[in-house]
Amino acid sequence: MQIETMLTAVDWAVVVIMLPLAGGIACFLWPVMSKQLGLITVTGIALSVAGLGWRIMEHGAYRHAVGGWGAPLGIDLFADGLSLCMLIMITTVGLGISFYASSYFESRRAVWFWPIWLFLLAALNALFLSADIFNLYVTLELTGLAAVALTALTGRIDALNGAMRYLLAMLLGSLTYLLGVALLYHDAGSVDIATLAQRIEPNATVWTALGLMSAGLALKTALFPLNFWLPPAHASAPAPVSALLSALVVKASFYILLRLWLEIFGSFADNAALLLGLLGATAILWGSLQALCQTRIKLLVAYSTVAQIGYLFLAYPLASGSNDMIWSVAVYLAFSHALAKSAMFLATGNLIQFGGHDRITDLDRAVQRLPLTVAAFALAGVSIMGLPPSSGFTGKWLLLETAVTQERWDLALVIIAGGVLAAGYVFKVLGYAFTQAEKPHDAKTVSASMEWTAFLLAAGAILLGFMAPEILTLIRLDIAVNIDGKAV
Amino acid sequence: MMPVAIFDAVLGAALLWLAWHALASPDLFKAIVLFVSFGLLMALAWVRLDAPDIALAEAAIGAGLTGAILLATLAKLQTMTGKNTFVLSAQPAFKSLFLRGLLIVLLSGSAAGIGYAVWVLPSNSNGLRLDVAANLDASGVSNPVTAVLLNFRGYDTMLEMTVLLMALLGIWSLGGLPPRPRRPAAAVLDIFSRFLAPVFILVAAYLLWVGADAPGGAFQAGSVLGAAGVLMLLSGWRPHDRFTLRYLRFALTAGASAFIILGLLTMLHQGQLLAYPPAQAGTLILLLESLATVSIAATLAALFLAEAPDHTENQ
Repeated sequence: MQIETMLTAVDWAVVVIMLPLAGGIACFLWPVMSKQLGLITVTGIALSVAGLGWRIMEHGAYRHAVGGWGAPLGIDLFADGLSLCMLIMITTVGLGISFYASSYFESRRAVWFWPIWLFLLAALNALFLSADIFNLYVTLELTGLAAVALTALTGRIDALNGAMRYLLAMLLGSLTYLLGVALLYHDAGSVDIATLAQRIEPNATVWTALGLMSAGLALKTALFPLNFWLPPAHASAPAPVSALLSALVVKASFYILLRLWLEIFGSFADNAALLLGLLGATAILWGSLQALCQTRIKLLVAYSTVAQIGYLFLAYPLASGSNDMIWSVAVYLAFSHALAKSAMFLATGNLIQFGGHDRITDLDRAVQRLPLTVAAFALAGVSIMGLPPSSGFTGKWLLLETAVTQERWDLALVIIAGGVLAAGYVFKVLGYAFTQAEKPHDAKTVSASMEWTAFLLAAGAILLGFMAPEILTLIRLDIAVNIDGKAV
Repeated sequence: MMPVAIFDAVLGAALLWLAWHALASPDLFKAIVLFVSFGLLMALAWVRLDAPDIALAEAAIGAGLTGAILLATLAKLQTMTGKNTFVLSAQPAFKSLFLRGLLIVLLSGSAAGIGYAVWVLPSNSNGLRLDVAANLDASGVSNPVTAVLLNFRGYDTMLEMTVLLMALLGIWSLGGLPPRPRRPAAAVLDIFSRFLAPVFILVAAYLLWVGADAPGGAFQAGSVLGAAGVLMLLSGWRPHDRFTLRYLRFALTAGASAFIILGLLTMLHQGQLLAYPPAQAGTLILLLESLATVSIAATLAALFLAEAPDHTENQ
């Protein structure tokens, strides 16, 4: 009983945002202790998210009026099942990446990694809890800057080039989004999502805002054909950074677009939804084919992200048939991809540290020498391909089922083709992990914690498949609560 | 009416002309000078739009400090490569005529669409102006811009302070530059900065104080104070090592930390993040703004210096 009072007394949504901010500043002030401070903060966030989850399950979605003003004058935080699901995704993957990073970075890089990573976590948590389109812009900006700084962390020339391209794409995306925010504010006199949802009527201004915001967010999510920045950035970053970029950062802008669609644009933007679906389908085919052609694992995994993002956008045309279940499937797939892709990038990081390179044809019996890492890659691959019983299978199966029910044979075909192509690129890597290279290489040791982290995340992607009903109800319940979810 | 309309038209045309030439100029030095002029004219445009707060910020940050940082970067490029002028090659980014045509069509299409959307906007939209005015008394300040930035939407400003800190972290994480010989400042600059730095500090203090009732506030004050720092750095002054090791980092984080601590206190006291008790709101805002000014100034000056002063000690 006492624990319950304590759990209710604390506003976990605020803690989830403020804790990493404070932790990041502490890491910056006392760089010598940054690793310890970082790990403590990340654990604290995980506990707070658990507290928030308890509160939402018990009492439903809730709002927190920052400053006590309340929307539309002030900014509201809003926590529902969709936010909770994204926060659980961030926390699960974030914990894995943090433990991996604590053995991966030498102290010279670690003093910069930890404060920036904590600021990134703060930005992402704030983003998933925001109910205000201008506040979302601020969190996007913080997310983007932190992500770019992490990309450039090694200081190598290819990383700097990738990061610079990434920075310009991020800025263009944010500013395009901001222009849309300005138009919506001028049209409806508010930047609060719930207020906008009531006031917005489709007109020329709203359509322009819709186009600008969708384009900006699609650029940040690397939706085909706006994916030019992703492979160089994600492939040149250090392994834990590639993992967090592919698993978490691209999901942030996807989430905003989804939120805007659910609450504001979805009721009238059917044609735009068809276009997003078309781009998603093209992304699946193009990204998978590109991945198949790569000779380096990191680039292969990065192109696989381009393809997997495509699946998330297939929900848009399928939802046109008044099927709100499909949104939960997209969110579930995003979660599944976050686990699998972080595991893949971390496993790739192990292979690179082990052999000093990531040439696919030169893997040189990695399966015998790093069995756990290769197992992690394979398990993650199972989920990416969509084989049962993984979460990737459940998500893609539900997508396929919906496509077939709605007689969208074209989309169904793309879903299946994407799975076959994914099998092609995953087995390409695994095949070379069994063969002996022509010239044997010297190998360095990889710490056990790094191997286990990659493996556990991959196992998580499989286990998530068994939790599909729970996760899908969690997200769906919250979408239903949203409509009159003005509970304080 | 007529002369004002002509002035606006000339201003708009000049902005477009400067922006185009700043982008198109192959000579980097020329591009920077054009960019600074663009910032100054942009400030003038904000004045014409009755937004003096933004005009001040644009002149100080957009034209002044950004220009200084760009010029400093160019100077560093020159010493590192030994070249005196930087002229970009005239190669177009997109060689294929089809791609260029497609890009032109797409961009002009979007521009036309946005232009039309702005054209049909209702001109009498008040936005949240009435809400802000109705709650101004409870905000603790009488300048609506400050009320929005520090009270109604103080949460945004807290995150913006983190963005600023994040930008500096990103630059410092790239590592230092090769050491450069420190040149003594020219006599004119030396005398000038001795004279100007105190004036800048005074102006910053005034802007900070006046922000409660009139255009001004932490961002404007911080950028003027930061400009004083840049001037002193230019004339060869460097902060003492013992200072830079610890206290500089405290100065850089003061603004964000103040927001976080106040957030914690208001959560405990009011149960709501950054909800100030109306009686103390004015004092709290002044306190927040003072610490934010210190952080903004320190961050901007540190951005100009580019490398982390305690970089070597960390390794």
